[in-house]
Amino acid sequence: MEPLHTALGAIKVLRCSVGQVFSCLANGVRADHGEEGRDAKFLSELDELLSSVTQHLRDVEQAVNSLSQPPGPFTLGNTSFLSQECTQERQALYSQLVLSYKWTDKIHEFSNLSVALLSQNSLKRSYTNSSTAKRRRAPTSSHNVPPQNVDTVISSIDRQFPDMNISVSRPFGANAVLQVTLSRVLQAVVALKGLMIEWVVVKGYGETLDLWSESRHKVFRKITENSHAAMLHFSSPTMPELAVRSFMTWLHSFNTLFSDPCKRCGNHLHSALPPTWRDFRSLEPFHEECKH
Amino acid sequence: MSQPVSTAVDNLSAALKSNIIPNQEYLLQGSVVDTAVEVLLHRLRGLCDNVDSGPETFNDHEMCFSIVNVEGGASPQPLLLRVRRALDYPDMPWQLRYIGQQEGTGDKSRPTIVRNSIDIGTSSTVVDFLTEMGCRMDFEYIARGYMFRKGRMKITVTKIFKMGPGKSLDSVEPISQSYLVELSVLAPTGQDAIAEDMRIFAEQLRPLVVLEKVDYKRLPPMGP
Amino acid sequence: MGVTILQQFPMLENRTGPQTIDFLTKRVVALGAIQCGQFLVDCDTYMSTPSLGPQRTVHVMHNSEQPASVFSLLESSGKTIPLVADGLFDLLMLKMTPIYTKKQTKVESKGPRFELADFCIKLGSVTISQNFKGVLVEVEYRPCVVPATCWDLLREFLQGFLGSCVPSMPPQYLQPRMNEIYQPMDTIQQYLEHFSMYRKASGVLQFN
Repeated sequence: MEPLHTALGAIKVLRCSVGQVFSCLANGVRADHGEEGRDAKFLSELDELLSSVTQHLRDVEQAVNSLSQPPGPFTLGNTSFLSQECTQERQALYSQLVLSYKWTDKIHEFSNLSVALLSQNSLKRSYTNSSTAKRRRAPTSSHNVPPQNVDTVISSIDRQFPDMNISVSRPFGANAVLQVTLSRVLQAVVALKGLMIEWVVVKGYGETLDLWSESRHKVFRKITENSHAAMLHFSSPTMPELAVRSFMTWLHSFNTLFSDPCKRCGNHLHSALPPTWRDFRSLEPFHEECKH
Repeated sequence: MSQPVSTAVDNLSAALKSNIIPNQEYLLQGSVVDTAVEVLLHRLRGLCDNVDSGPETFNDHEMCFSIVNVEGGASPQPLLLRVRRALDYPDMPWQLRYIGQQEGTGDKSRPTIVRNSIDIGTSSTVVDFLTEMGCRMDFEYIARGYMFRKGRMKITVTKIFKMGPGKSLDSVEPISQSYLVELSVLAPTGQDAIAEDMRIFAEQLRPLVVLEKVDYKRLPPMGP
Repeated sequence: MGVTILQQFPMLENRTGPQTIDFLTKRVVALGAIQCGQFLVDCDTYMSTPSLGPQRTVHVMHNSEQPASVFSLLESSGKTIPLVADGLFDLLMLKMTPIYTKKQTKVESKGPRFELADFCIKLGSVTISQNFKGVLVEVEYRPCVVPATCWDLLREFLQGFLGSCVPSMPPQYLQPRMNEIYQPMDTIQQYLEHFSMYRKASGVLQFN
């Protein structure tokens, strides 16, 4: 390898000195050659340069002679095909290389930023183990849970609340969609991804249930909004089962939606709506306007 | 600010005036023995509209009521009412049907029986309602069979089963060894052209089944 | 169909029917309600001929909220049998004419209809053969289907714009049905209860 490097170095030096000769010739007689005998000075400079070229050429020859034939063919991978195409424009390599360089650079920058952001944000829904040192067990995943486990969790929640009926269906492959009927007060559709709650729609008793349309009634549209807040609040990637259970307990507290007055103002109605907010901890009913 | 609401009576009389209420039934009847019914069904399947889905089956319970106006002269005409419910779809509305006197039985120029008919969807309280109103239930039966459509025409092939008091609905026995075949259209008054269509269709079913005008008055009197 | 409460609003001696409706309209609009059309509930009554035995009465009623339905109530020897049918039931009653004849005069409640969030408010002037009899206020809370769970809420709402005339107990008719699912027929039965009261009373009902 060493002689190859010296040979390449020698070629580089030779090219440099040849370049100097041509630049000297192109510039012609310059001011720094002075007034007197400037032609002689120019010629001697050129001569000097030419002799250095000869010397460098000799160096190259010497270095090349000391090189040995490579024992076998080089394995160059795909790059060996580069020699097949000689016109640079057809390869368009340069612009692609620049683009991919920019990409990797950007990705690097963005990932640095997102790591900084994600590690601050408490609502993170994916499991990131920042301390790689203690990897005692395989990280629990909230969105990749076998369907049997989901069924077990849901049926145990179903048993926990006799007046809340939960049925599981799987219209989109492995992920479960729950249909919740809370006595004769409300119905809800909860879409799960594994054991992570992804979407909730709350509607009135007797309304047709689907994942996309909202309720006819203002009160259930409000509760749908609030249940989205609850779904994010209870979300816990490390304990997905607890998150679902807490959410369902919270949803179950709407059993008394129409019968319980607001804990703060003591009235049933505020702007013609019943208390649509339930405290996350105490599950006490509040009006939207009274919860703060 | 907005139009006052029109009353239900106004709406009904407007509908009557523009003659959009289907209150005339055009009817032809016939019968076919059990052994020949498969051939008839095959023929109907080829002739009728619902070819791809096959014939629609039904399993209905029908109760026939009558109420007589005693003050209506020497031989008062009873008012006939029928209640029908689908045994296989218990949540569907029940059907209450008024059937008037039939016309056109003796008239050679009219190809079908024509009778006044009002079909009303109701809640399941209708039997209690009629009974308390003073109607008497004359008889009841189970009708099971197939229904076909051809344009506006309805063709039913029905097996009729006896219903005894206190008998379960599963162990009913057929009333005869044949099927009742009916071809009917429910249309607003004055659309007599449909009767001709029905006659032509009935021709196409000959000789598998002969559909004709049955004159009830000439049948021997039934029951007590 | 949500739970509906029907409530009489007392007539004051110095106020006419339209004035009372105006007065209530102002209150309801002040709460933020928006007028959405008119409504009409009517009732025709048919009596059986004496030859049919004991007297039977059929009330045939319509509600503009369920325009395709006819509601009938048969009163016979202390029982009331409800029947919901489609619009052609009116034609059948015409066929019944010799046996059941339209005896009494028509009772109607009609007036403006308002919506406020999930509430539907109807201010009806009751007339018997075009004679003004009183004011009936109907309030429906549409999200709820079981009367027991929302009676307190509805009472609070009614008291909010009708004042002290609202009783603390649910209407008589609803009391044994508080835990059942509310049906359109239940509204009709409440109307019939009030219409019968207006029929029995002579002149405009007064509360002082």
